[in-house]
Amino acid sequence: MGKRNCVLILSSEDEDCSNVRSSSSTRSYTKTKSKSTSTSSRGRKRPRASASRSNLSKLHEIDLFGDDFNEVFTGSKVSAGAHRRCADDLWIDKYKPLSLEELAVHKKKVEEVKTWFEERLKPLKGIYTNNVLIVSGQAGVGKSAAIHVIASHLGAVVCGWNTPTPVIWQEHLYNSGTGMKYTSKLDEFESFVERVRKYGLLLTSHTWESKPSSILLIDDLPLTNGKYAFGRLKDCLHLLVNSTQIPTAILFTDYGNADSADYNARCLDELKLSLESSGACKVAFNPITVNTMKKILHRICQMELCDVTAEDVDLIAKSSGGDIRHAITSLQFFCLKPNLGHSLAPSTCYPGALKDESDKPVISDDGYSLHFGRDETLSLFHALGKFLHNKRETGVATEYDHDGFLMRERLSRLPLKMDVPEKILCQAHVQPGPVADFLHENVLDFLNDEAIDDASTLSSYLGDADILLAKHRGMLSSYNEAESVLLSAAASIAVRGVLFGNSQPLSSRWHAIRRPKLWQVEKASLYKNEVDRLRIPACKRFSSYHMSIVTTEYMPMLKLLGNRGCGGGFHDPSQESLLNLEIEDFDFDKMDLDEQSRETSDDDIEDW
Amino acid sequence: MLWVDKYRPKTLDHVMVHPDIAHNLKQLVTEQDCPHLLFYGPSGSGKKTLVMALLRQMFGPGAEKVKVENRTWKVDAGSRSIDIELTTLSSAIHIELSPSDAGFQDRYVVQEVIKEMAKNRPIDTKGKKGFKVLVLNDVDKLSREAQHSLRRTMEKYSSYCRLILCCNSSSRVTEAIRSRCLNVRINAPSEEQIVEVLEFIGKKEGLQLPPGFAARIAEKSNRNLRRAILSFETCRVQQYPFTNKQTIPPMDWEEYISEIAADILNEQSPKRLFQVRGKLYELLINCIPPEIILKRLLHELLRKLDAELKHEVCHWAAYYEHRMRLGQKAIFHIEAFVAKFMSIYKSFLIATFG
Repeated sequence: MGKRNCVLILSSEDEDCSNVRSSSSTRSYTKTKSKSTSTSSRGRKRPRASASRSNLSKLHEIDLFGDDFNEVFTGSKVSAGAHRRCADDLWIDKYKPLSLEELAVHKKKVEEVKTWFEERLKPLKGIYTNNVLIVSGQAGVGKSAAIHVIASHLGAVVCGWNTPTPVIWQEHLYNSGTGMKYTSKLDEFESFVERVRKYGLLLTSHTWESKPSSILLIDDLPLTNGKYAFGRLKDCLHLLVNSTQIPTAILFTDYGNADSADYNARCLDELKLSLESSGACKVAFNPITVNTMKKILHRICQMELCDVTAEDVDLIAKSSGGDIRHAITSLQFFCLKPNLGHSLAPSTCYPGALKDESDKPVISDDGYSLHFGRDETLSLFHALGKFLHNKRETGVATEYDHDGFLMRERLSRLPLKMDVPEKILCQAHVQPGPVADFLHENVLDFLNDEAIDDASTLSSYLGDADILLAKHRGMLSSYNEAESVLLSAAASIAVRGVLFGNSQPLSSRWHAIRRPKLWQVEKASLYKNEVDRLRIPACKRFSSYHMSIVTTEYMPMLKLLGNRGCGGGFHDPSQESLLNLEIEDFDFDKMDLDEQSRETSDDDIEDW
Repeated sequence: MLWVDKYRPKTLDHVMVHPDIAHNLKQLVTEQDCPHLLFYGPSGSGKKTLVMALLRQMFGPGAEKVKVENRTWKVDAGSRSIDIELTTLSSAIHIELSPSDAGFQDRYVVQEVIKEMAKNRPIDTKGKKGFKVLVLNDVDKLSREAQHSLRRTMEKYSSYCRLILCCNSSSRVTEAIRSRCLNVRINAPSEEQIVEVLEFIGKKEGLQLPPGFAARIAEKSNRNLRRAILSFETCRVQQYPFTNKQTIPPMDWEEYISEIAADILNEQSPKRLFQVRGKLYELLINCIPPEIILKRLLHELLRKLDAELKHEVCHWAAYYEHRMRLGQKAIFHIEAFVAKFMSIYKSFLIATFG
């Protein structure tokens, strides 16, 4: 019961904490309370605590958000008084990196950012015209953590823009009687940038430890809707890049390719490019590697005294998709879980019991436990790459023996070195039709030069898939369960056919994945059909022919008859127009082919 | 006007190629009411000519006043309405169209057209209610559903209209339709008949034909009269005083396919398969029907093939052709056939030459 209470307290306090965090942009503040209870070896943070406090007061200056500030201040007093509670703090806060070594980000990147800041924080400023650094990376790769750690390493203060709480329009209407004025977030951000450009940060008034250098961190940019607002934001940032005197870091969160349809994500990309072109420096953080992640998770496990097996850590690290924040939260949750399940059990949880129980759910779930782990999405090309490269284990081929039946040698294949193909398909969110088209277009590049037998089995399987897909044609309106099963079966056959057919996969090398030429061919032939159709009635109007006859018999002959006109001495205007058409048509063909040969599309996914 | 159209026989009496069938048809029409008709036979054998002549026989010269139009039908299909656009050729007494052009919506077209025809029946001179004729091309390309609905409409509206169906192969027309029609098989004309026609045209045009020249064209034409006349005209345009050594211009797409066949026989590898695919795409862009590509390709391959492989290769061609009909993307299946052929041929080469 005690434990349970504890959990409850934690959650309520969590809210407090999050309040505090949301209102204060500098996270180092929250850190201070947690750190004071954690290991005493981290003495270094005391100066930081004061730093952050002074920081807060500076924020006051910057944002002029008196209310928020008060809240923060009282909040800080409370939490300062209650150290004990923070023992149950979130692990992400508790184990926030405090030194450069602890950062999970790749050393080179850290070094890059550090030298950039070092150069700009040197006493003789003004040499650099650009004082803006763009840090981009997926969510949870430690962008802001890196900035904070580097800042504290350099003894600089991080100041940020406090994102004001958004005011909903209805809310504003409700409040309008009280005389509050509505200002959009964009306006506020603009005026903030304006002030920063003109006056720099007003640091001096409240600091009791003189900190000469400061870093401006812009963590979240205001959301913009529509072209106009976006243009304003762009201009405003552009000005900032050109004229700011303070080293400024702007953080961009990259969204995966899967979300690229999202308008805002695309805007961010555009923004990033425009900032870069106006002279900002750019550093991209990669997702955190599994090994680094494992190291960090192990360290946390050791410090928390919870005994998690290496496999579990491995799983968590792998399933988090390079997101360290997510991984740590999952770990905390994972270590907590057995206790939640046995809420009536005594509050103490000793590691042994924990381990026994934690094993079960993981294994029961057929290899990959999804109690934690993000829903991973794959880009189409990633998935296709998996299928086409066809990576397999190099181990012994007698894998299937325990299944009870032996396979003939030419039918047996080494086990796949990937997830179940259907799962990959599911993660890639693709329609079965395009998958088959893409595989068909590209698979021949991945075959061994001698393996024509493979090519033949494989293309037969693709044919099977096509037959299944054809059943679906024209029934788009009447969607039902059975048809969707049919579709997934078709996709599955296409993929597995490709995997099975390619019996001697090539060692992987780089290949561009082309977009199916078939689509262009279909379009082009439709167009040609139309053109011919227009041409025929002009030439002869006695009887209608089917297109196949026209294309196979009339067209070639008409081409040969060409400029002499049809038949002996027969001339009329329609003939002329026919010739013109012929020439246009020829151009069209050529152009079309050029286009196709040029098209090796990795990038124009948006096009279709 | 092209010679093909210029010398197309206008009446059943002038038909040169199938005089016996023409004679029978004439008797059928003059003596009694005409049943539904199903003409089938290879392309270029004179089906359409017979149909037009028959219409003229039935309705007089009025049947020749045709107009071509692109018509749109609004079809009410349960929850939504579809617009279907088709090219039709019609006169006062008949409508001709290829419903299979509408793709999978063909079943609506057939019903809709027939219903519309039933609504405005023509009245003949004696005040009797007459009937219209609906000529449907490529019935064998109709989907199964469309053929079923065609069967029902045929029965329901048989007093309003007569159907004349044309197709290449009656095997793809359902039994139900075949039994409701008078089946008329039109054979491909023999080479002698083609020569006869060509000589007739030559005489009309006042041309000197060297002996054996017409026979060469006939041989090249693959017993397709239309093709023979077309290439005869091309020869005339290319070089008039005909010589015996004159080349008969081949169809460009056939040349292209024999090129592909040579490619296939030269090398069997995925890379070559990829090149072949590119060439097949070229043909498809030019709207050469995939069935014809496959057939021609098989023809070209068989010419250079060892006798013991022929049977197997034919089997696979048939297999993939069938699958092509079931499927939607022809290139998948043509390519599968090419791959299969390459695989067979390669192992054959290894077995014989080591």
